[in-house]
Amino acid sequence: MDEPFAIAVRTRTCALGRPGADAPPSFALDRVTVRRAGRLLLDGLSAQIPGAACTALVGPSGAGKSTLLRVLNRLAEPTSGEVRFRGTPLPELDVLELRRRVGLVGQQPVLLTDRVLDDLRVGRPDLDEDRAAVLLERTGLPAGMLARATAGLSGGEAQRVCLARALAVGPEVLLLDEPTSALDADSAQAVEYTIRDLVADGLAVVLVSHNVPQARRVADHVLVLRGGRLVASGPADRVDYLRKGT
Amino acid sequence: MNTAVPTWAGVAASIALVLPAIAVAWHRRLDLARDIAVAAARAGVQLAAVGAILLLVFQHTGVAGAAGCLALMVITAGRVCAGRSAGLPRALPIATTAVAVGSGATLGVLLALGVIAPQARVVIPVGGMVVSGAMQATTLLLVRLRDEARTARPAIEARLALGLPAVEAFAPHLRSTLRTALIPAVDATRTVGLISLPGAMTGLILAGVDPLTAIRYQIVVMYMMLSAAALAALTAAHLAERALFDDVHRLRPLTAGTRG
Repeated sequence: MDEPFAIAVRTRTCALGRPGADAPPSFALDRVTVRRAGRLLLDGLSAQIPGAACTALVGPSGAGKSTLLRVLNRLAEPTSGEVRFRGTPLPELDVLELRRRVGLVGQQPVLLTDRVLDDLRVGRPDLDEDRAAVLLERTGLPAGMLARATAGLSGGEAQRVCLARALAVGPEVLLLDEPTSALDADSAQAVEYTIRDLVADGLAVVLVSHNVPQARRVADHVLVLRGGRLVASGPADRVDYLRKGT
Repeated sequence: MNTAVPTWAGVAASIALVLPAIAVAWHRRLDLARDIAVAAARAGVQLAAVGAILLLVFQHTGVAGAAGCLALMVITAGRVCAGRSAGLPRALPIATTAVAVGSGATLGVLLALGVIAPQARVVIPVGGMVVSGAMQATTLLLVRLRDEARTARPAIEARLALGLPAVEAFAPHLRSTLRTALIPAVDATRTVGLISLPGAMTGLILAGVDPLTAIRYQIVVMYMMLSAAALAALTAAHLAERALFDDVHRLRPLTAGTRG
């Protein structure tokens, strides 16, 4: 598949048929507070993140969006409060197993090896080439890119390799921290298509985004954060923050 | 009296060598003239004090005194390493343990095999060289490891986020840091005698020992320096790796270090 945008674009479901609307929540947060170096990053946040849907975390800079994402796969720890994943408190789960079930892709693409195929194998050493090719195509990259050197990849290609690398582990939930902020419009659109495609296949995606139009296009549910607090949440088409585009 | 060793009058005369350095610094307004004078005076006083203490130890305390001296050297070396690697969690105990393990194991083997005599006048100078080598390798390793943990945090966390345990997530960085820390000791061993005559050999030759005898000591010194550096660096790497990550495989935040 050579066409970058050849991913099957699924029609967004309407409000009533929104994916994940009836699925049990992937995460439940109960009065989660994160304080670091005297700064309050999350302030008593309680929320639910649905399963099999795309949830956008939106809000101004410093609202605590990225911190919340890191709390969900235990790269950050709450100072107080509780986070449950599929009903189980995070400390009761094996942390390495949790991270394999809850993948995280950062804002800046970080490639870890010299060759694309090797990068896809970092979290999954037994990944065969056929499966790796499928993963690349899933993120809108041609299978022929497997043999390419990572040093020569564009920002958009690198970000999609990072996405494919996270998918290689087989996560149930994918946490994406502003995955398109460093990309051009075409690359960003390809990543958005990929996200919708993954959600349609049953994956839960949590997307941090500054970009309100993008959140409107991609998300089913929205959590609006400000100053570490949850100020609004609900279906994407009913949250004022997205409707007003502020 | 060995005519190769300067007399006290000769030592006093050698002060003349410091005067041109002070004159140049003063003339060029380098703001270093006072520093040079103080450093020169301090070196003389420090060495005189060390000589007096060693004389005391050699004559009165024997091996127990030597052990005390070595312990003091290890503690001082640990503090120097920890100061350089400020910002690394638990830097002082890690550095002190690493220097102690590298030096202790190396000296222990040398004594156990009968390579050096268990006498204060042998153990102290040889131990000083060993501690110094262990300190250099430990400092280099801890400083590089701290910097690597800071600059490579995104890559380390990307591996952790894929479900890799801390040891595997940090392995590529640890490997390159260990290599860097051991390169000076390996290079010194490889080029010994080609670039300059090493200290122990030089000292023995100046003291009137014939060169073929002097190299025997130097060969032992090079091997023990290599051993001390490798053991200290490995110990420091192992302990620092444990200190950098918490029990849920998270890279700890590193506080700002101002030195090193």
